[in-house]
Amino acid sequence: METLIQVLIDGLLSGMVYALVAAGLCIIWGVMDVINFAHGEYLMVGMYVSYWLGFLAHVDPLVSVLASGAFVFLLGALTYKLIIRYTIRRPGLVALLATFGLAMFLKNLCMNRFSPNFRILSDTWLGGKTFLVGSLILPVPQLAAGILSLVTIGLLYALINGTRFGWAVQATAMDREAAELMGINTERIYVLIFGIGGACVGFAGGIMPSYLAVHPEVGSMFGLIAFVCVAMGGFGSIPGAFLAGLLVGIVEALAGFYIAPVFKYIAVFGLYLAVVFLRPKGIFGW
Amino acid sequence: MSRQVSRLNRWIVCLAVLALLLGFGPRVGSALAAEKVIKIGTIFPLTGPVATAGQRCQAAVQTAVEIINGKHPDIKVPLAKQEGILKGYKIVLVHADSQGKPDVGKAEAERLLNQEGVWALIGSYNSAVSKPASFVAERMKRIFMCGSSSSAALTQRDMKYFFRLAPTDATESVDFVEVLKWANKKNKANIKTLGVIYENSEFGKHAAEEAKKAAAAGGFKVVTDVPFTPGATNLNSEVQTLKKANPDAVFGAVLGADYSLWVRTMKQANFLPRIVINYCSGYQDPVIAKQLGGDANYFMGSSGYSPQFASLMPEVAAVEKIFKAKTGGVPFDGNSIQEAVAMLVLAQAIEKAGSLDTEKVVNALNANTWDSPLSLGGKVKFAKGGQNILAKSIVTQLQDGQYKRIFPEKMADAKIVFPMKPWDKR
Repeated sequence: METLIQVLIDGLLSGMVYALVAAGLCIIWGVMDVINFAHGEYLMVGMYVSYWLGFLAHVDPLVSVLASGAFVFLLGALTYKLIIRYTIRRPGLVALLATFGLAMFLKNLCMNRFSPNFRILSDTWLGGKTFLVGSLILPVPQLAAGILSLVTIGLLYALINGTRFGWAVQATAMDREAAELMGINTERIYVLIFGIGGACVGFAGGIMPSYLAVHPEVGSMFGLIAFVCVAMGGFGSIPGAFLAGLLVGIVEALAGFYIAPVFKYIAVFGLYLAVVFLRPKGIFGW
Repeated sequence: MSRQVSRLNRWIVCLAVLALLLGFGPRVGSALAAEKVIKIGTIFPLTGPVATAGQRCQAAVQTAVEIINGKHPDIKVPLAKQEGILKGYKIVLVHADSQGKPDVGKAEAERLLNQEGVWALIGSYNSAVSKPASFVAERMKRIFMCGSSSSAALTQRDMKYFFRLAPTDATESVDFVEVLKWANKKNKANIKTLGVIYENSEFGKHAAEEAKKAAAAGGFKVVTDVPFTPGATNLNSEVQTLKKANPDAVFGAVLGADYSLWVRTMKQANFLPRIVINYCSGYQDPVIAKQLGGDANYFMGSSGYSPQFASLMPEVAAVEKIFKAKTGGVPFDGNSIQEAVAMLVLAQAIEKAGSLDTEKVVNALNANTWDSPLSLGGKVKFAKGGQNILAKSIVTQLQDGQYKRIFPEKMADAKIVFPMKPWDKR
């Protein structure tokens, strides 16, 4: 029983990070109908910001998470201004290919500037620390990442559903032209949404160097899992992405432990296929 | 008028592009031929999760080529004292990136042989890439020198043009089991059970198979077998599976960034077997060992070289100086040095054959025993199928960040720390 609870804890903690990465992707899709293929690379950039602040200025990831979030917010906003806005009234494939190109660019830029070396931050405040509850082990860095995820997703949900800005975002998502007729500056909404989507994944990337090596390929798998979470939760639904993130984390952990470790991603993608087969719009989709 | 000039310019540009496409551009190939060069293709994972290892392998081949092409009277390796081979031929490398992926490696092998016109190939670090890439070379009757891929299956294919320098995971598995027996005898270790963790690739799967065979032959019981997906976002369930089985010893075939994640996850889960021995893996990577700090200590693994072997291989120092200039000060490791050996042995064979006829060079490679001061055994000799039967490695243990020689005992420079020190007592 203890082993089952430990596996569930590990799965939940992984799932919360997946949920945070997915939330950023979800909000961009929900408002703009743009699939950001560079989302995994945004995570990688956030990790590098945190790593270099830690390595050069000895700033702990727990602090530099803010800088990572801000940096990737700017990167997101810049992505919209320089690339996405030129694709917005064109077929969906144009934006998709543009972000795919951006992903290649960011990955190769980091490879060129920082080399493909794996970089590990040693001696962080949380690194290697654990919190014991009886015989259960809670790894502190992942726990911090989980709490950060809960707080960020909660704030994001409140922002979208409880503020005038959020209502403007929802109006823009429903009908851009009608929103413009109501006096909403939809261009500004798009810039901010791309930035906020980036900031979510930037926060996740900012805290991860406490427990994960940084390298130019690190975002690929997270990006893929984020797509699964968004599609499973229902495109554009933040609660859906959150729930799907947790589900993916738990299924991954249970399948990895009780079937075989090599099956954990098979189970995740199998679950995804089952959900989209039974409910093509996702769990919370409409 | 200006419109006509602009139209003319457009036509000139089109014609120039067409001329370049049709091969009327600068004749690089013919210039190379006039300069007497031998083009050798390298295929390594220069990007992807094991890129650091791949880049060092490439730097090792470049180091060997620098020695072969130039005159280095102070370096005591074959061909260093003369300039070039075959009375004036220089070696030119053409590099390719496999990304650690078999399909990419195969495509790059085809490109290097068909389009770049390389004379032979060297690579590919990942056994999974070496396998299809060497098939391409074999089909085209071109030599494939394999420095560090360790899957025993590579030299069990009875190929004619394939030559591998490193020890195989079959011989390493036998060595590891000998270490367990030795520890049981010397340290009254009472090791009975074994767990195997490996990446789900050609290299990992084959290493695990050999580990199980060797363990069964040595009387050890394999209680758990944990394959994992390379580049995973976490290794929690893998470590929990190991922890549940709680084997006395663990053999690991875990490369690159996955190795650091594995070690850190074991620490978080407060799990540590009494002894861990690694195949060629992240363990051997001095950069990863440095970054992991104290957490990397007391793990063990086999290696054909580490800076702590300097007293056994004094000739390496001068070569390593050139290598370090290319890697920003990172020394040779057990894998990269094998790639330098692969290049040096190939050059010696070409020189001995006195010709660029592939068949003659293959015959020379098979018929001779080659001096190799960069190899632990000092010599290289290929058996049928291409395996270097004189390949040797030493089992080391990381102690205070240094790879200490542990086994065989006659080559040891330190005593084994057994069992591994618990995480909280480091």
